[in-house]
Amino acid sequence: MKTIEGCPGSQMLDFKDHKDTEEPEGKIESQLRQWPIQMHLISPTAPYYQGADVLLTADCVAYALGDFHRDYLTDKSIAVACPKLDTDQEIYLEKIKAWFDDAQINTLTVLIMQVPCCTGLLNLAQEAAQASNRKVPIKYVVVGVQGEILQKEWASA
Amino acid sequence: MEAYLNKGIKQIINQFPEVENILDEYGIGCAPCNVGTCLLKDIIEIHNLNTDEEQKIMTRIAKIFYPGKVIKIPQIKRKRKAELKEISYSPPIKNLVEEHVIIKRWVALIPEVIKNLEVDSEEGRQLILDGVDFIRSYADKYHHAKEEEILFKYFDKDLDILKVMYEDHQQARSHVKAILEALERKDKAAIAKHFNAYGDLLNEHIKKEDEILYPWMDKNLSVTQIGELFSKFKAADEQIGYSSAKYEKFVNRFEDKFKQKELR
Repeated sequence: MKTIEGCPGSQMLDFKDHKDTEEPEGKIESQLRQWPIQMHLISPTAPYYQGADVLLTADCVAYALGDFHRDYLTDKSIAVACPKLDTDQEIYLEKIKAWFDDAQINTLTVLIMQVPCCTGLLNLAQEAAQASNRKVPIKYVVVGVQGEILQKEWASA
Repeated sequence: MEAYLNKGIKQIINQFPEVENILDEYGIGCAPCNVGTCLLKDIIEIHNLNTDEEQKIMTRIAKIFYPGKVIKIPQIKRKRKAELKEISYSPPIKNLVEEHVIIKRWVALIPEVIKNLEVDSEEGRQLILDGVDFIRSYADKYHHAKEEEILFKYFDKDLDILKVMYEDHQQARSHVKAILEALERKDKAAIAKHFNAYGDLLNEHIKKEDEILYPWMDKNLSVTQIGELFSKFKAADEQIGYSSAKYEKFVNRFEDKFKQKELR
């Protein structure tokens, strides 16, 4: 793996020679069961969020995590966001709060990359949880840049 | 060796008492268990030892079963890899662990309650009744009921480890009943005996749940089930009409009371 130093979030890394993977057989079905998915576009009270297990995923996660659909997206509702580049994130805060209070979601799983800027998405979820009236278990999963699971913990409720 | 792996632990300890000491060394306290029908292989799996420790313990046990013979040690098939780290609970399970903290604080006061046992005065009798109310209303109706009515329902009721937990709950209820009967007879010795037995039972029971049962359950519950549990526990707490805070205050009051007595 060749590396060039810089901000961890935008540091160049090349691992094209590193992977030694087995190709899965057959067509892999998408587990996505809703549209839209971008945090600015979703309505937090859409029917597919009601009582659901919701994934709040940093944009890059689905590209890094090879088994994202099978291991995380199956049977879940989703929204994606980038805590580094997205603007007007106070809207996100209100939408996450609405998941807890209005959509009465069952759980929230926050999937973030290992880069420091991604922690902002988890902070946003925890801030919304503190401000909401209804508490819900929040899990977070930290994904490495080569798709490895670095951490998987329950954050709070 | 396979035959022994599929035997109940009580049967093994009865036949080979030295096994008990080996299990103790690894913090696997099967000896005081009332049921003891857990299979040896399940005990090794559920305690989540790492591969080296598992091989060491199995080798030592095999030497007891087959002295002087070289035995091939089978590796216990695990659903998940052993992980050596601090226990991290899901939010609903963490709530139960926090309730345990309050129960353990009251159990720690039992020696003081016994020291101050008084069955003739109104104040003395009230102290005993307050203790019994804590056990019945908080430890049992508030806490054990959530386990029995909600949490345990997510698992096969015939699992040995669950049978042990149900049996512990029943025994705890028997001790409380015996305390009240002894109070009727003004039998101080019997009250002390059953309070002590209750304390010992609960300390052991809570340790089993915090260190073994709950982490195992957390690993086997899905994210969806964790969310459901959290909501069901909350609904149960609301329905019962009182909170942990009430009994935490109760324990605080008793701790202060006994501390002040000590200072006098």
